Amino acid sequence: MIRGVSIVFAAGLITSGLFGQRPGPRMEHGDFALVHAEFGGQNKVVQGAPYSAQAVTQFTQALPNGDHIQRTTTASMARDSQGRTRTERSFGAIGALSAERGGTPTVMIFDPVASKSYVLDASSRTARSMAIPAPHTRPADAEAHARPERGQAFAKTEDLGTQVIQGVSAQGKRVTRAIPAGKEGNEKEIDIVTETWYSPDLHVVVMSKTSDPRFGDSTYQLNAINRTEPDPALFTVPSDYTVKEGRPEGRPMMRRGPEAAQ
Amino acid sequence: MNEKDVDNLPELLDDLRILAADGPVEAPGHIEARLRMEFRRKKRRRNLVTWTPWLGVAAAASIALFVWIRSESQKPAPAPEVAVHAVAPVAEEETDGFYPLPEAEALPAVENAMVVRVQLPVSSLQLMGVPVNEESADLSVQADLLLGQDGLARAVRLVE
Repeated sequence: MIRGVSIVFAAGLITSGLFGQRPGPRMEHGDFALVHAEFGGQNKVVQGAPYSAQAVTQFTQALPNGDHIQRTTTASMARDSQGRTRTERSFGAIGALSAERGGTPTVMIFDPVASKSYVLDASSRTARSMAIPAPHTRPADAEAHARPERGQAFAKTEDLGTQVIQGVSAQGKRVTRAIPAGKEGNEKEIDIVTETWYSPDLHVVVMSKTSDPRFGDSTYQLNAINRTEPDPALFTVPSDYTVKEGRPEGRPMMRRGPEAAQ
Repeated sequence: MNEKDVDNLPELLDDLRILAADGPVEAPGHIEARLRMEFRRKKRRRNLVTWTPWLGVAAAASIALFVWIRSESQKPAPAPEVAVHAVAPVAEEETDGFYPLPEAEALPAVENAMVVRVQLPVSSLQLMGVPVNEESADLSVQADLLLGQDGLARAVRLVE
């Protein structure tokens, strides 16, 4: 189904003349240039469970010519008792993609107490501020927003029990999704394995491993988990920053799904 | 009371009957001593019978108290109250329209999402599992990528 949509999507890209975009500067395959960042979709607000940690994501993709793409990205994460979060991440890589000019750190502060989110730009000393709508009553995870249901009929879930990871008790599960032989033109069955370790105390995934023979392997882990209250200053805009309301360029992100591309 | 005392009780009664039949004379020393001993024994027995139920009640109460204190002490300390809810950081209509990436279907659920707008060659979409036409591969486009907490892309939306 998704493959079908992909093809429609790809076809849409072509027939729409690449959506009327002006050709940008020539970039190499696998490169990208960050324009800006912001919060997106739903965010989980957890109050009463402060922590700070270093998140490390490693991505490995095997190419058909035998070469490998390997990327490692890190992020500093913090959350206070009120549910405010701060993420400092360098967008030097996104999966197999690599930033053309390296990655400058972007700080994102999510403040449900003040109903504001901020994206700090250290180079221009500016903070983009956006209002947070009232809390939803929907379930806390944003899975439905981004997770296709594909392959669920072939999924097998195993309980891996409880393990202490980086000093935090975590519950593990392994989900194996099988793509039967022939379903995607594959000669043999493809097993896609996802192992997730979730801390019920912190309400975060502390470690995950994904192995997908089609796209590569990724591991994500929170290191140096500290459960003391982080410095409150982490969740405020520095006084020497200029706060600007709204998104850069003042234009909303445009809706352009596969249907629109046709 | 010991077995010897029980065994000698009929003998003591016989001695007392003989003594009563002989008239009001002072009892011999050995009879008096045994009589006193028998009185003391009866008294001890009465005391025991009187206190035993109360001792049982007290013991049961003590055990109950011990069990209660122990169970209370073994209860985990009340955990700090944790509340979880979800909010959309921006208006919902401005974050939908995303197309799930095939490469993301095995990734863990998104806990906290972020959107990055990137400029990238069409060919880079191939690396995320999106099939593209080779003729357009070199062209550069703008796209929004929905990232999870791990910084990996879950969905893409093309920017007009």
